[in-house]
Amino acid sequence: MFWHQNSLCCDFHVGVSLQLLARLEARRCLKDIEPQLFADDGGPDRGEVVEVYGPEGTGKTELLYHLLCRCVLPEAAGGLEVDVVFVDTDYSLDVFRLASVLDSRLSAVLRSCLSRLLVVRCSSSSELLLTLHFLETTLSSRPKAALLLIDSISAFYWSDRSEGGASVAKQEEKLSRCSELLGRLLRDYRITIFATCHPIRRTSSGPPSSSSEADRSHLCRAWQRLVTHRLVCSKQEAEHNPANGDQGSGEQRNRQVFTVHCSSWTGTKGSRVSSFRVTDGGVEFVWTHRPPPGLSVVL
Amino acid sequence: MVALLVGMCPGLDEGLLRSLRAADIRTVEDLVSSDIEDLAQKCSVSYKALFAVRRVLLAQHTAFPVSGADLYEELLSSTAILSTGNPSLDKLLDSGLYTGEITELTGGPGSGKSQVCFGVAVHIAYHLKQSVIYIDTTGGLTAGRLLQMLQTETNNRDEQMEALQRIHTFRLFDVCALLDCLYGLICGRGRGACVGGGSVKALIVDSVSAVIAPLLGGKQNEGMSLMRQVAAALKTMAKDFSVAVLVTNHVTRSGSGEAQPGLGVSWSHVPTTRILLERVESGASGRRSATLIKSSRQACLIKEDFDLQWWSRAEGGRGGGGGGETSGKRKLDETDP
Repeated sequence: MFWHQNSLCCDFHVGVSLQLLARLEARRCLKDIEPQLFADDGGPDRGEVVEVYGPEGTGKTELLYHLLCRCVLPEAAGGLEVDVVFVDTDYSLDVFRLASVLDSRLSAVLRSCLSRLLVVRCSSSSELLLTLHFLETTLSSRPKAALLLIDSISAFYWSDRSEGGASVAKQEEKLSRCSELLGRLLRDYRITIFATCHPIRRTSSGPPSSSSEADRSHLCRAWQRLVTHRLVCSKQEAEHNPANGDQGSGEQRNRQVFTVHCSSWTGTKGSRVSSFRVTDGGVEFVWTHRPPPGLSVVL
Repeated sequence: MVALLVGMCPGLDEGLLRSLRAADIRTVEDLVSSDIEDLAQKCSVSYKALFAVRRVLLAQHTAFPVSGADLYEELLSSTAILSTGNPSLDKLLDSGLYTGEITELTGGPGSGKSQVCFGVAVHIAYHLKQSVIYIDTTGGLTAGRLLQMLQTETNNRDEQMEALQRIHTFRLFDVCALLDCLYGLICGRGRGACVGGGSVKALIVDSVSAVIAPLLGGKQNEGMSLMRQVAAALKTMAKDFSVAVLVTNHVTRSGSGEAQPGLGVSWSHVPTTRILLERVESGASGRRSATLIKSSRQACLIKEDFDLQWWSRAEGGRGGGGGGETSGKRKLDETDP
């Protein structure tokens, strides 16, 4: 009996120490993942969560592809050469679009770039919770994985609400559990998370402001506490420039411009507004604008 | 939530299940989220056995991660582009309906959504020789119309019948029947048609808003949850079985008076490509204009005019071919009257 217990303890300790080693190895910091989006030196550090919020057609998934490409490209091509885990709850990952964005940067090493990406598809919040538990072992075995992309975290909002019945606590239970688990993964493995979120009601068109009522997150408090940066995406009115000549930029004339308003409330508090267009080669930033230093960020 | 049952995995026997229930662990999620060491002590079972059970259950119930490179290779070999039969529409859709994606046609009453769906079904069944599943929720589908369209393609009775047999139709009028039909197609039960067979390349649902719109609004959440289930079922069919899904939707007026697709914000991210159909004020009765309002491949808001009668055109003008002519396509140099 004693010997049996002893061997159990041995296994247990070996298991824990392997996990401990995996946690201690520093994963790549992603502060410089896209300096054009975040305020000066305000990019997401290890253990931080960025929520990308906005109605459909505002370029959220394109932004994720842009960040993904930046991460999987080899350092020689200007990338960060880290592994990425992509949790797809919406069945919206378009691998061909991703491949064409990667292709336009670097065609020869397409396959090796794509092999740094791991895709998981979940069809319910229970499956998401169990998959996140499973991902813990994946993260231990892949020390280079530094980025977790979730598209989108609000996919099961309505299913959870109807399953939960009348009690709000029951409705939010699954997402709260997922958020707690994500918090633990953040602390233990020091990864960075980007997650997209769809709004549930239509907002009136107009310049987005960080204090707008309609842009407040509708997800549970446990998730809201995890989020350290928020990128609110919106569409601008399509530019019509009939004055432009027809030389080459005729295509560009009608390209939709998307605006991203970034608020961060960790480290260097700040906010930033940037704009981008979507071209065949991916996201192309147009101009960026920082609000004057006196303006406080209202959350 | 998945309940824990005896025999779910080796090692999960009656005794273990009873002690877990006594410790208030009833579902797989509870077991996976709890601390195994504590639980082993509380239930006085061996840590090793419990850890093994947890590992097997986790492997059974989680989604399997796939490497991006493998996903790319798999999609390269299984994705196909289905032409709609109308070159203007094909131009908007970047050469046709893509398998693995949901395309939405939206428009007001009389804008021609059903006619476009008929035309696409006939083109795929006759020219591309693939099976089509047509789910009709409005009662607008008649075999006579499909036959009429086929008769302009060919005069051979056998070929017409063969093409008609490739179009499997389902007529239903509420969302539960729709869900039942979709799940049945995924699992392979029901009237012969099964998406797993490989020859079904297109699924047309006309219209999805007719069954969902009556459930939305008001205080109940059921409608939104059912809409989400329909979306998930359509997406599963599209991605896992490499099927091109075409759905139709109604329009509502936005605050500024423009037409926008119905079913609200929560449905808007489900289709990958959206086309708005409108009548053309001037011009013949068959002319419609199609505007691309959402696409991941092309710049938005490009517009194309096309003729609804494209799918039923024949030699010698509108209204069916004359006697004795062999089937043939009319060249594009003539303009429609």
